[in-house]
Amino acid sequence: MLAVVGHVARKETRQILRDRRSLLLILVMPILLTFLFGKALETGELRQIPSVILNQDGSPESNVIVTAFSTYDEVQLQGEVATLQEAQDLLAQGKIKAAIVIPQGFMRQIETGEEAQLQLLLDGTDNNSAPIVEGVARRVIQRYNTERAIKGLWARGVRPDRGRRLIQPVFVHREIRYNPGLQYLSYVMPGVIGLTLQLLTVMLMAVTIPRERERGTLDQLMATPITRTELILGKLLPYFGISLLNVATILFVADRWFNVPVLERLPLLLALCALFVLSSLATGLLISTVSRSQFQAVQIAVFYILPVFMLSGAYAPIEAIPDYIRPISSLFPLMYFSRAVRAVTLRGAGLPLVWKDLVILGGFVLILLYWAVLSFRKRVA
Amino acid sequence: MSLAIETANLTRRFGTVTAVAGLNLSVRTGEIFGFLGPNGAGKTTTIRMLCGLLLPSEGTARVAGLDVRRDAEAIKRCVGYMPQRFSLYGDLTAEENLDFFAGVYRLSGQERRRRASETLARVGLADRRRELTEHLSGGLKQRLALACALVHSPSILFLDEPTAGADPPSRQRIWDLLYEAAAEGRTILVTTHYVEEAERCQTIGFMHRGRFIGLGSPEQCKAEMGEALLEVDALPVMQAAAVARRLDGVTGVSIYGHTLRVFAKTTTHLRHHLQEALVAQGVAVKSIRAVAPTLEDVFMSLTRGAQDDNGRG
Repeated sequence: MLAVVGHVARKETRQILRDRRSLLLILVMPILLTFLFGKALETGELRQIPSVILNQDGSPESNVIVTAFSTYDEVQLQGEVATLQEAQDLLAQGKIKAAIVIPQGFMRQIETGEEAQLQLLLDGTDNNSAPIVEGVARRVIQRYNTERAIKGLWARGVRPDRGRRLIQPVFVHREIRYNPGLQYLSYVMPGVIGLTLQLLTVMLMAVTIPRERERGTLDQLMATPITRTELILGKLLPYFGISLLNVATILFVADRWFNVPVLERLPLLLALCALFVLSSLATGLLISTVSRSQFQAVQIAVFYILPVFMLSGAYAPIEAIPDYIRPISSLFPLMYFSRAVRAVTLRGAGLPLVWKDLVILGGFVLILLYWAVLSFRKRVA
Repeated sequence: MSLAIETANLTRRFGTVTAVAGLNLSVRTGEIFGFLGPNGAGKTTTIRMLCGLLLPSEGTARVAGLDVRRDAEAIKRCVGYMPQRFSLYGDLTAEENLDFFAGVYRLSGQERRRRASETLARVGLADRRRELTEHLSGGLKQRLALACALVHSPSILFLDEPTAGADPPSRQRIWDLLYEAAAEGRTILVTTHYVEEAERCQTIGFMHRGRFIGLGSPEQCKAEMGEALLEVDALPVMQAAAVARRLDGVTGVSIYGHTLRVFAKTTTHLRHHLQEALVAQGVAVKSIRAVAPTLEDVFMSLTRGAQDDNGRG
């Protein structure tokens, strides 16, 4: 059996090596994809949201507010506008995401003790920017209110330091463990690595058997006493080799340009990658055994990969997915891979914390391979 | 003599179409058996069932004493198969293809390399062994495919149109190889629609719509043709053919160059009637004589008979 597996593997390797153009694509694509995906997601944190100020009050107090806004990095003040209509137009044209309006009478209301308002005009189509601008506004106003209250108390004979404690008796102190910069990139990189590996391996593997079917070579092969297991394993091996090469280059890119601490836990990461890649190749083989043509294989592969992208928690926390959809997510090896790699790269987790995911991935490999063997028919019924 | 292949009521249906309809086939060990018949007659389907590539819908088949339903994999070990369409790896060299198939047939190490190079030399491809298969000419590809079917020394060879599209020298070359294989005691089942190739077989089965409409050695087939045959040399030949077709008792007319071959239930009186009818229509008759049928005549006659049967049924 092993000898025949070797013959098939050698034959496949020869074919892969002779198809220079595909080979180049196979080797360059993962590097390119990791780089592009990573770079695209690197700026996942929003800064410099374009905004304008409409200062209808023009008072010393309103100027204090305007100055306060300009100290925040999240908003980029593009200047002042004169009318509400002007602000609305800019918003409609998408030139700004927010307009900060200080209505007329702002200072007078404050002085006379009426309720004064700071108004925000936000573009809701960009649901990332709106809450950020709102957060900035809250902080600006809170600080303004606090300072004003302290001044008021001082006028009544309370010293500022005491006044501050009266107004703000409680503070939040935070200490962020793991990913202290709260960077989205660090969170998403394991998902990017997984997605790149998944896309490549499934696509590559899915077309191998239909390709032989289309070229007629499968017919000749089926007339020999080769067993299904020999054929499946023989096809798997060379692609596993290529995929390991891809794992190496992807991890290198992740380490070098995206600050993923690969070297610290290299053996564990390699084990995770190897098992994940095997499960992914097995998925491709399964698709391969049920497809009549290469076109159909690619079709099925796309239908598999799209839900994986959306549901496996590669981009966003799996907890954000509703409970009733999560059972579907748990069918994708990528979910366990992203989870485990995240634990390893962000929290420095070791074997004791990720062995379960390793076992689950291994289980996927065995089940999918067995399934692929069973679904392959040597004889047409 | 023992039977290499034996089927009883072998049937294969694809949906509503019956490709092979209750075929009873016996092929003796060591003989060259030819499947002759038009496209779609069920030749390829039969071979694919016998090779264990396709399950029969009904009936039984034994190949090398093994049942095609139960022992398909064991059958594959002792038969060689050359499909109609070229099915080797175009991106491998001739040698690599042979080496791969020898390996898949479980020949090991030295034995594998020896058989591969021997078989390559045998089909005359030794000096082309490093060339990519897709760059070989049609005739060479066919010889390489034959080599792949022979590399594990099978006792039975299934060849599906091994000479399709080949020029006469290439065809001769392949038939030499087939005779050589037969001389080594291998049983050969070969399909063709070249009648002159059928002459080379020891037994011919004429297939039509999934069943045999004629079976026997080429001599038997000719001797047992159920119709009489006249060769008519007359001018103008087209007009002569039209006259002959209208005549009572004539079942068919084929034109070959300047002569007609006229098939009839019996030639008693026919010769006389034909002569009269032709002359009456102003056709110049040079000669009319009874001749022995060729295999092609037999093929035409049998096909026509089968179609008439179907028409009546």
